[in-house]
Amino acid sequence: MTAPALAVLALVIGYPIVRAIILSFYHYPLLSPFRNFIGAGNYQRLANDPVFWQSLVNTGIFTGASVVLGLLVGLVLALALERLQGPWRFVRGVLLTPWAMPVIVVAFLFQFMFDEQGGITDALLQRTGIVHHAIPWLTSPNWAMVAVTLANVWQQAPFFLLIFTAALGGVPNEVIEAARIDRARGWSMVARIKLPYLRSAALVGALLMIIQNFNNFPLIWAMTEGGPGYSTSTLVIYVYRLAFTSFNVGYSSAIGVVWLVLLLFIAGWFIRVLRGQNS
Amino acid sequence: MTTVTDTDTAAPARTYRTRRRLPIARAVVIVVVALFAVWTLWPLYWMLSTSLKTSREATSLTPTVWPHSLDGSHYTGLFTGSLPFTNYFVNSIFTSLVSALVAVLISTLAGYSFSRGGYRLNGALSLAVLATQMLPLVVLIAPLYLLLLKAHLLNTYLGLVIGYTSFGIPFGAWMMKGFFDGVPREIEEAARVDGYSRFGILFRVVIPLSVPGLVTTGVFVFMNTWNNLLYPLTLINSDQKQTLPPGLLQSFSGTFKTDWGGMMAASIVTSLPLVIAFFLVQRSMVRGLTAGALAGT
Amino acid sequence: MASITLQEVEKRFGETAALRPTDLEIRDHEFLVLVGPSGSGKTTLLRLIAGLETLTGGEIYFGDQRVTDVDVGDRDIAMVFQNYGLYPHMSVFGNMAFGLRRRRMDRAAITDKVQEAARLLRIEHLLERKPRQLSGGQRQRVALGRAIVRDPAVFLLDEPLSNLDAHLRVQMRAEILKVHRAVTATAVYVTHDQVEAMTMGDRIAVMSDGVIQQVGTPDDLYDHPVNRFVAGFIGTPSMGFVECAREPGEPDLLTGTGVRLRLPAERVAALPAKAERVSVGVRPERLTPTGRGDAESASCTIEGVVEVVEPLGSEQHVLVAVGEQTVTAKGPREEHFEIGEKVVFALDPGHLHIFDAESGEALT
Ligand SMILES: Nc1ncnc2c1ncn2[C@@H]1O[C@H](COP(=O)(O)OP(=O)(O)O)[C@@H](O)[C@H]1O
Ligand SMILES: [Mg+2]
Repeated sequence: MTAPALAVLALVIGYPIVRAIILSFYHYPLLSPFRNFIGAGNYQRLANDPVFWQSLVNTGIFTGASVVLGLLVGLVLALALERLQGPWRFVRGVLLTPWAMPVIVVAFLFQFMFDEQGGITDALLQRTGIVHHAIPWLTSPNWAMVAVTLANVWQQAPFFLLIFTAALGGVPNEVIEAARIDRARGWSMVARIKLPYLRSAALVGALLMIIQNFNNFPLIWAMTEGGPGYSTSTLVIYVYRLAFTSFNVGYSSAIGVVWLVLLLFIAGWFIRVLRGQNS
Repeated sequence: MTTVTDTDTAAPARTYRTRRRLPIARAVVIVVVALFAVWTLWPLYWMLSTSLKTSREATSLTPTVWPHSLDGSHYTGLFTGSLPFTNYFVNSIFTSLVSALVAVLISTLAGYSFSRGGYRLNGALSLAVLATQMLPLVVLIAPLYLLLLKAHLLNTYLGLVIGYTSFGIPFGAWMMKGFFDGVPREIEEAARVDGYSRFGILFRVVIPLSVPGLVTTGVFVFMNTWNNLLYPLTLINSDQKQTLPPGLLQSFSGTFKTDWGGMMAASIVTSLPLVIAFFLVQRSMVRGLTAGALAGT
Repeated sequence: MASITLQEVEKRFGETAALRPTDLEIRDHEFLVLVGPSGSGKTTLLRLIAGLETLTGGEIYFGDQRVTDVDVGDRDIAMVFQNYGLYPHMSVFGNMAFGLRRRRMDRAAITDKVQEAARLLRIEHLLERKPRQLSGGQRQRVALGRAIVRDPAVFLLDEPLSNLDAHLRVQMRAEILKVHRAVTATAVYVTHDQVEAMTMGDRIAVMSDGVIQQVGTPDDLYDHPVNRFVAGFIGTPSMGFVECAREPGEPDLLTGTGVRLRLPAERVAALPAKAERVSVGVRPERLTPTGRGDAESASCTIEGVVEVVEPLGSEQHVLVAVGEQTVTAKGPREEHFEIGEKVVFALDPGHLHIFDAESGEALT
């Protein structure tokens, strides 16, 4: 029974990877029959492609900021809501809703709220006198990145809330009670006793979210299509553009391969850290 | 050492501190929770209230925090207007459900064999799963596109389901493995002693015990496919077969641009199946997502 | 119907040898207990008999049939697991009937069988419950019931009582024996508790480090342990050991710190000539304190200092330091001992167990 399972996985995972690696050595226009082997040509082009580098930096900023902010928000909320009981647990349930929402809906919603003409965010900021001029959330290069990141954090913080809540539930009662006998309370209880128990949840959650955000196509595509200019173009957006707007599958595959290697390193590092702390 | 004897002999009467309440700490917690609650709930409220405003009010340049009057026409408009929303919705439901079912079936078999396949396979599976999770969908999509092109499956439901399923299986197998790992070995051995075959044990003992896991994995795949914009965007090119994400995106960035009321109504209807499904399995979802990750290392 | 024969049976998990090549003969209808400390390979041996593990070497026969390659389900065995292994999603009835259904027995017959077993175990009123609605002792009974409804030829139990409290354990011990007598299957029972082994086993196999050290009746093991390990493992409180040397020129005299043992001729004859350093074991109940005067005349004496006195109500245990070692004496509570008091015990040389100091093998 294991053999067929391995075969399915090999097919499902192996085929596209191998195919992508092969494609990356070709000049391969999607819609024309004219394709040829160009060796490392795509990789050379990539090294000198400013848009690639900008997309790489954007990916790092988007992913890093989303994961760090989401993790912090989730952590604080999980600790604050830990002792909810009975019907009050409903509050936690409600706060989880964003994570269950379709990404495309999040994109629509924030696009609407960040709209420069009649968007509620600018309207409220101006009405309360916090800013005088409307912030060009989606039309200025710098603010666009802020806008998509905020939308993303809004959606993903609940994920961290969820896994931290579960991890807090896993702290053995005896440990908490022993700590109380040792007079740990409030902050020292959190920092010295509970946080260590949350480490692996944080690592696993962060890893999953890093991966997910590297791949987050729908949010950015629906909100900005990577613009204005290339200001919110992450790798996933750039690859998509290359493959399906410029139809250059060979080059887009080369970027995909580089990106896979990058993520493998990140994942390898995470697994090492996880292993280290488990043993 | 002298200090020790001192306290021993002249121990002062022990005073017991009563537990101090910390009003400041409590207030901080309440403020934090309230802030985050507003941050989370405000967009949801905004979506709901906009969808219930009249078109004029929804698109007004000076937005109103409270709707002046409630109006359900955006919702009825979804199903009667020129936007083929019903069509997208049915396509989404259909492809997501089929993909979830197929993926759960295959993931169950694969996950079970990995769960019982011994320690050495664990590493291989976690690596494979991580690899697919990390593999940019966008990179997968080019080979998939070419494959479906050759098989004449572009612009078909089948092609879309193949794409969804293939992406759902590795993680699904991983989640199922996590759930199967939680079924004590003794129970299975008892069934072996009772004379059941491997499949008999799987279907009569292990699967009935893993129903929450099956449902969770199914919901997980369902959520992922429901969310998937990229596959239908590239693999489907007729409005007739299009699913919600690309369908709505194309509509609301083209013909229906700035029909905010309609957009929010569509958003709410699109969210409902997902939110409901999620809350059904919320508890076991965490386990599914993290158990495998922790066990696999 | 089903004796069990193991020939050179061996099991390794990669590098670790969980069970070294072992021969064992279990008689039909016998109740054999496998006892030994944790990690000694008891479970491994039991699972090999069940067929849940595959052998790395050797052969297993049930009767004169070779079952080495026969699958678990076809071996006609039943097993009771340490954590019961009940099917959580089935009722008690379902748990007991599950194995019978597989054998395509008709419904009425299944119901009869289950009822009968339930009556024997007094769980008739629980048949509709799920395992999680049962207490530990009830679960234990259901697990037993599930095993006996099948009328197996071989009945395997892996530490079935270790999750129960002490009181229930004693009660279930008797019930299991009762059930065994009723079903007359060959039973192999694993435990780490030597009291359980002594009270339940027709014969006992003592294991340590993947090796069966000795097989025999409870009395055999108690009176004639073949090595120091078995001697120390069987019996509570444990046998005490003192290290001695043979006096050159006086072959019948063993001496050590506080120890002076003059052996009768027949025991000396049994000792190999070159056994110079020996380890002498004494059962606690054989150590009787004597006055100084009597000690002078006694042929065997052990002298030490009282370290701990454990009153047990009916009797008392006195732990006595003899040189570097500690021995335990068991006696009536009326005798009074002070901590730090010097005591002398006189011994009957017939009750001494003499072992080689190096190998631990019995020398008589
Ligand atoms: N599946 C296994 N893989 C590796 N080693 C095992 C396995 N099962 C048992 N062992 C090893 O075999 C030895 C005997 O184990 P076991 O038969 O369970 O002992 P017991 O039941 O007497 O406590 C132990 O050292 C144990 O670590
Ligand atoms: Mg064991």
